[in-house]
Amino acid sequence: MNTTMPPVQPGRNAAPQRSLFTLGAVLAAAGLAAFLAGLLGPHPQRAWQAFLINFLLWSAMAQGAVLFSAVTHTVKARWTGPLSGLAGAFAGFFPVSLACFLILLIGKNHLFPWLHEDLHGKEIWLNIPFLFTRDGIGFLILYGTGWAYLSQDLKLKFGTSAAGGGLRRMLAGRIPQSDTDIQRVQRRKNLWGGLYCFAFALVLSLIGFDLVMSMDPHWVSTLFGAYHFVKAFYVGLGALIILAAIVHLRRGRSAGIAAAHFHDVGKLFFAFCLLWADFFYVQLTVIWYGNIPEETSYVILRTVTPPWDALAWVVFIVCFIIPFVVLINRRIKTMPGAMIALCSIVILGIWLEHLLLLGPALNHAAAELPLGVTDGLVFVGFLGLMVLALAYTLKTFPEFLPPGGEAPR
Amino acid sequence: MPAETCIMGLFKDDGKAAKVILDLPAAGFSFRRAHSPIPSHRILEALKLRKGRVGWFTLTGGIIGFFAGFALAIFTSVQWNLIVSGKPIVSLIPFFIVGFEFTILFSVFGNVIGLLVCSRLPDYGGLESYDPRCSGEHFGVLAACEAGREGELMDFFQKKGGEVKVFA
Repeated sequence: MNTTMPPVQPGRNAAPQRSLFTLGAVLAAAGLAAFLAGLLGPHPQRAWQAFLINFLLWSAMAQGAVLFSAVTHTVKARWTGPLSGLAGAFAGFFPVSLACFLILLIGKNHLFPWLHEDLHGKEIWLNIPFLFTRDGIGFLILYGTGWAYLSQDLKLKFGTSAAGGGLRRMLAGRIPQSDTDIQRVQRRKNLWGGLYCFAFALVLSLIGFDLVMSMDPHWVSTLFGAYHFVKAFYVGLGALIILAAIVHLRRGRSAGIAAAHFHDVGKLFFAFCLLWADFFYVQLTVIWYGNIPEETSYVILRTVTPPWDALAWVVFIVCFIIPFVVLINRRIKTMPGAMIALCSIVILGIWLEHLLLLGPALNHAAAELPLGVTDGLVFVGFLGLMVLALAYTLKTFPEFLPPGGEAPR
Repeated sequence: MPAETCIMGLFKDDGKAAKVILDLPAAGFSFRRAHSPIPSHRILEALKLRKGRVGWFTLTGGIIGFFAGFALAIFTSVQWNLIVSGKPIVSLIPFFIVGFEFTILFSVFGNVIGLLVCSRLPDYGGLESYDPRCSGEHFGVLAACEAGREGELMDFFQKKGGEVKVFA
């Protein structure tokens, strides 16, 4: 029996237009200008803080979205339809994320308060060479497995030829020609997909410990790593819904994304909204019961001490209360425009949550929130980088886009 | 009000029963009820039912449960009035667990009550105009017609491939 899969026929005319690249470049340039201006200003640590927060947020979005593709493939979910392919496009941000991680090394003196503290034996773990080496290796493993998984996915979508530029040809490698080849690629795809899921949990936990939790080096929460990767999947789903909604609004029913797809991924988004809040609560409960000063001080500073208390409530309302109340409604999950608004609000909320976690450690005795125009512009700059990465990936690999055709109702 | 006669068409295929439900109004007959031995999406679609209200019962139960859980935890703590590990008598953080559990419990209660109310159960009187075959291998469509048009309705059912049962 011939099991050769028909190649996906991507709509080349559906590939991103030049205006999208221009938009991304303008946004990225605005962010870069603001970041450089911040570095040259009186408070360079504020610019580095904005850079770190946005690096964590936008990297998490890309990592979480690719996890959606890998995990739904691993569990053989059939409901995803074109969403799985779209999720893969976020891997285009991986090289940007890696480059941004290396840039952090330049601002190390502004980013790691523990460099100037007595760490009481934690120096073995918290030192710059070891931290950047292990996290760098972690990112390489995560992004390597991600791209390995997606390259197998693309090989199956390419069909029998991968016409196009060097990157396409390089990624495609040896395109499967026979049934045996296809089965081999399928097996590799399964393997790399599973490994990506595994690497996601491990590496994101490590990043959570090293780049967020360690900012208060005397505070420890063993659940923090899990909290960090659950949050990454939460924002990844949000970013994926926004991309799918934009594709749907631009191409209409020919995009092949049905209301049922939005409903299903909306339910998953709802579930991870609950899980994020659950992980926050279980950490809080243990700390509350234990009542150990070196643990409670972290929470007290961020939840009941001005100026952070107001921000804590905003984060809780924006990241949990609003999506919880709104997503109870079934119909809203099938409305792309409404979901763009809701997911954008949640992503902004997680951006503020990063500020809540990192801000007190980087701004001791702050009288007011360290949030200004520079922070907003750096956010916009990273948005531009994400737009550029997505546009480039979708242009180079239109196979990630829905193949077209009339969407089922 | 003119006298009406109820006649049931019995079909072995839910697709035919669904088609009959859709065609009844155009033929000038009133649809009364459908009976199915299994849940049938085709018949459900043909009935064009409004969304059930069971969800509202569940939501109401959940909201009541959330506050009832907190109320119970606060009430019992205040009754004992013991300070444990220096914690306040009324501590909302751990009470959330009780509130959460009661939310689930009362949601289930609300759901079951909503199901009973919306299904009008229990019904000790039994259904009028029912054929036991609808609990076996037939799908029943009960329709009403004005006195004198019984023959037309029976013909209608038979042309659609069904058996007919007339109720007095």
